[in-house]
Amino acid sequence: MALQTNGIVVKNERIKPLYFLLTIYCPSMAIEIKTGQFIMLKVSDSHFPLLRRPFSVYKSYPTGHPDKKKSGCLLILYKKVGKGTQKMTEFKKGQKVNMIGPLGNGFSLPPLPFSNDIILIGGGVGIVSLYSLAEVLKSQKLFVFMGGKTKDDILCEEDFKKLNVSKMFTATEDESLGYKGTVIDLFLYQKKRFKWNKPLYIYCCGPVEMLKELARVVKFKGVVCQASFEARMGCGFGACWGCVVKTNDPKTPYQRVCKEGPVFNLKDIVWE
Amino acid sequence: MHSIPDPNLSVTIGKIKLKNPVMVASGTFGFGEEYEDFFDLNQLGAIISKGISLKPMMGNPPPRIFETEGGIINSIGLQNPGFQDFIKNKLPYYKKIKTHLIINFFGNTQREYVELARRFDEVPGISGLEMNISCPNVKQGGIVFGSDPKMAYHLVREVRKATKLNLIVKLSPNVTDIGLMAKGVEEAGADAVSLVNTFRAMAVNIHTRKPELGNIIGGLSGPAIKPIALRMVWEVSCRVEIPVIGIGGIMKAEDAIEFILVGASAIQIGTANLVNPRTGIDVINGIKKYLIQHKIEGVQKLTDLFNT
Repeated sequence: MALQTNGIVVKNERIKPLYFLLTIYCPSMAIEIKTGQFIMLKVSDSHFPLLRRPFSVYKSYPTGHPDKKKSGCLLILYKKVGKGTQKMTEFKKGQKVNMIGPLGNGFSLPPLPFSNDIILIGGGVGIVSLYSLAEVLKSQKLFVFMGGKTKDDILCEEDFKKLNVSKMFTATEDESLGYKGTVIDLFLYQKKRFKWNKPLYIYCCGPVEMLKELARVVKFKGVVCQASFEARMGCGFGACWGCVVKTNDPKTPYQRVCKEGPVFNLKDIVWE
Repeated sequence: MHSIPDPNLSVTIGKIKLKNPVMVASGTFGFGEEYEDFFDLNQLGAIISKGISLKPMMGNPPPRIFETEGGIINSIGLQNPGFQDFIKNKLPYYKKIKTHLIINFFGNTQREYVELARRFDEVPGISGLEMNISCPNVKQGGIVFGSDPKMAYHLVREVRKATKLNLIVKLSPNVTDIGLMAKGVEEAGADAVSLVNTFRAMAVNIHTRKPELGNIIGGLSGPAIKPIALRMVWEVSCRVEIPVIGIGGIMKAEDAIEFILVGASAIQIGTANLVNPRTGIDVINGIKKYLIQHKIEGVQKLTDLFNT
């Protein structure tokens, strides 16, 4: 069930030139939200920006968490990209923010314990929604690929290290960190290390172009590849049909990112 | 001091009486169920369904929505499962709701409009129909009928013959004289008119040098259109005797009161539902509060109090 509720800003700090970490105290949301789901945040009381903005939750700490400062809080890691996120950078401690959530269908997990490798591929701020998944899957063999335009777009590295993932790979398009190229280039470069003759899970999140490229290079036989989509949204809860992607569903080809998604099986997506 | 009784919020739209003048606009309220987590839908005066066509409609390619200053442009393209699937899979939910259900419908041809009206006429549990002759996002039908007064008159006259249900005709603002359109529709036998649908609009990305919408053009809604919508509702109210339902950028009770003052018998909340799903309830409460504050006994009295 989705709630419409107010949270209180605890902290809103810049962590990289274009990236901010927002901590909101909202116990009712923190306890409900699952990995891959998102919330719609009201960023302003004015009519511009008018629409709420969708955010996946980076970390959530249900009430009772041993760290008292974090108990009941949600963490949102966002990139300043436009008018809406610009407004968010002005959020002050103690300010009320209205949100709707949890929304959408999150990732589905492999049968646990999973015998083969699990691959996570995140482009830019997309890595954030994979982090909460990695927390759930931390005792599995996790391989994390992260990419961005420059080193300032590489996020959550320390988090993944703390989870003790099997291996991390980094790519930047300007070669400022790790492999030179896109995260998909890097994944292709490393592809041989995985056992493709056994069932394999890939989870990915990032810009549409990245997901499209991944769909082109992955042979889906025996591979479950779940992708979390980003889209401009009207409402976030299924009412307006503004955020669709095209799928191979014969009855309803255009499915809602906010309702049927944001996670889709990549093999079901029809690219145009 | 004696207590003032609660103001009377009920209004009559053609053949039906609503407990309050607040409805939710087609296309912004899904099939109702999307809102059930947020409030008790029975509090609304009426619920209007997403537009239904005879056959399923796939809708337009994405991107389908773009935010502008004080508004949004959409090009959803009337995606809907079609009559049969609607009756089987969507109507059962609506039937659980006790308030009035008004079905928004449209066709690509006159035959389709008439056929749909006839079919809905036989479906129990429906309080009325809202006929969409004003969608800017589909090539066939829709706005084609809604921008030519003669075509609109003939279409509504034929649909009128096909149904006894309360018939509301939803008008397009993309016309030279909306009063003339409303007059024609009234003469053809409509029980009420609702206006306005969205304004044809577009937006361009100067970095990619592409249109922001997959369909290139779409329809503008939201607070940005309110002053124009208000003027049109005023013009139409001066021209027709049938009830006028005001739509266009209503975000709060004060906006709704403006529409009622200039002659609307009821109003519809559209874009605001997406931003705050509880807008309908807030507007109902706000109207009530205004009437109490100003010692006005009923919402229907408001229109008489407009000083020009």
